Amino acid sequence: DGATILPAPQNFSVRSTNMKHLLMWNPVTQPGETVFYFVQYQGEYESLYMSHIWIPSSQCSPTKGLECDVTDDVTATVPYNFRVMAMLGSQSSAWSNLEHPFNRNATVLTPPRMEVTEHGLHLVVELEDLGPQFEFLVVYWRMEPGAVERVKVVRSGDIPVHLETMDPGVMYCVKAQALVKTIGRHSAFSQPTCVEMQGESLPL
Amino acid sequence: VPYAFCGLPKPTNITFLSINMKNVLHWSRPEGLHGVEVTYTVQYFIYGQRKWLSASKCTSISRTYCDLSVETSDYERQFYAKVKAIWETRCSEWAETERFYPFLETQVSPPEVALTTGEKSISIALTAPEKWKRNPQDSPVSMQQVYPNLKYNVSVYDTKSGRTWSQCITNSTLVLSWLEPSTLYCVRVESLVPGPTRLPLPWKQCISTLEVQTSTWKVKV
Amino acid sequence: LRRCLVSVDMRLLEKSFQEIRRTLQTKDTFKNVTILSTLENLRSIKPVDVCCVTNNLLTFYRDRVFKDHQETSLEVVRRISRIANSFLHMQKTLEQCVHRQCHCSQEATNATRTIHDNYNQLEVSSAALKSLGELNIFLAWIDRNHQETSAT
Repeated sequence: DGATILPAPQNFSVRSTNMKHLLMWNPVTQPGETVFYFVQYQGEYESLYMSHIWIPSSQCSPTKGLECDVTDDVTATVPYNFRVMAMLGSQSSAWSNLEHPFNRNATVLTPPRMEVTEHGLHLVVELEDLGPQFEFLVVYWRMEPGAVERVKVVRSGDIPVHLETMDPGVMYCVKAQALVKTIGRHSAFSQPTCVEMQGESLPL
Repeated sequence: VPYAFCGLPKPTNITFLSINMKNVLHWSRPEGLHGVEVTYTVQYFIYGQRKWLSASKCTSISRTYCDLSVETSDYERQFYAKVKAIWETRCSEWAETERFYPFLETQVSPPEVALTTGEKSISIALTAPEKWKRNPQDSPVSMQQVYPNLKYNVSVYDTKSGRTWSQCITNSTLVLSWLEPSTLYCVRVESLVPGPTRLPLPWKQCISTLEVQTSTWKVKV
Repeated sequence: LRRCLVSVDMRLLEKSFQEIRRTLQTKDTFKNVTILSTLENLRSIKPVDVCCVTNNLLTFYRDRVFKDHQETSLEVVRRISRIANSFLHMQKTLEQCVHRQCHCSQEATNATRTIHDNYNQLEVSSAALKSLGELNIFLAWIDRNHQETSAT
């Protein structure tokens, strides 16, 4: 069988941003040869109750690359073990294991990008589409002393949301944060974006 | 008459078509039997029960559908159905459906929608769709009673700006008060229920907001 | 009685089940036996017993069904893994939520026992296969009793 000659991939780590989870490792180099890598995972269920079971990653078994998107494999908010092996023909390396199990609740959540437009009389916001796991908390207010902040929860990005019919000559400001219920966390708020409605303000 | 020899090809594409719990079994004529007087017999099975039961209204029929709404009216149970083709003394094997779960598989039709327009507004009144009734004179049962968290997805397309807003609502009225006068808007409404995604059955209509009525006075500062 | 909402991606769970439903249910040839859908069992559960039954069903799947099922198809293994790990997370969320609320009445205990009795009727691999094929019943139960939308 394949003698273990190849060195195991080093610096095996995970980086996760906005619920996109990426494994990375250093290359195993064999001059003039193409080395393939196999990634496998175990959810907490497998590691607790079926520890002999390792599941080939849906994207990278095998892959020639040095990273692997495991977003579709990590679909529960529990710790996941990962391991990667190098293969060249019949030669295979030992497994490199991720130093610590990865839980998606550790993902980095960034403030969502948003576009605020005033469309005729209407204050409209369109948010970055970050995927089905995301909702958004949108806060908006009139730029005047004592103004009350108003809040709207937007269920998904990429669909324009009408916030308010505005009064002419008044500036309105909007900020938003991303919410991910399945991990019980939210991002910081984006920087406020302010728009002013054209036209003269009516006497009150 | 006992069938001497089965040998006929089976009916194909056997499936339930279910809308608001009206559950109709459909199938296609067996291949290769053109111009032949084929009849069909249908049976159904309540998952977890003991045996197949005859669909009394669908024995030796020539049509290729059978309304099994009565037999499958307990929508929290699961069912199978099967149909066999018969021609003279010959018959086919049974063709059987997958397990059918009305509660999770029925399509929910869109609500009844009434639109009224103003200069800068459209008000949308929604009435929940009705569940299938055994007898026409039975009192109506709303699909809201089957799915307490029935929601409606309302999309509005502004034909002038080309933009679309959409909103998910649970109550029965929605007033879009931020529209432009004399503008054609296309409204699309569909029902949403929890559980696996189902084929959408949208309601659509386009309507124009009224022209601006010239007002009696204007304030200018 | 406070409802225990669980933050799992139901849409993904239902999609994962739908993708393997035909495979599982087609292999299940015992139409006359049901594990979960003894409907008198589940529909008759009173609100006060909901959390106990949910917890017992999560334990049933965790300790019996997922372990007893032998699967060769990688696509099925991946989707069962999604469901099993989501159930594990759900159980942790329930445990934090319920504190002392989650007592088990005689009806809830009977309902759970019936499910185990149904399971024991069949040979283990057939019972596990049938229980997996009936996950849509349990997912509908979770949707109805533990999802925010079902709270309105």
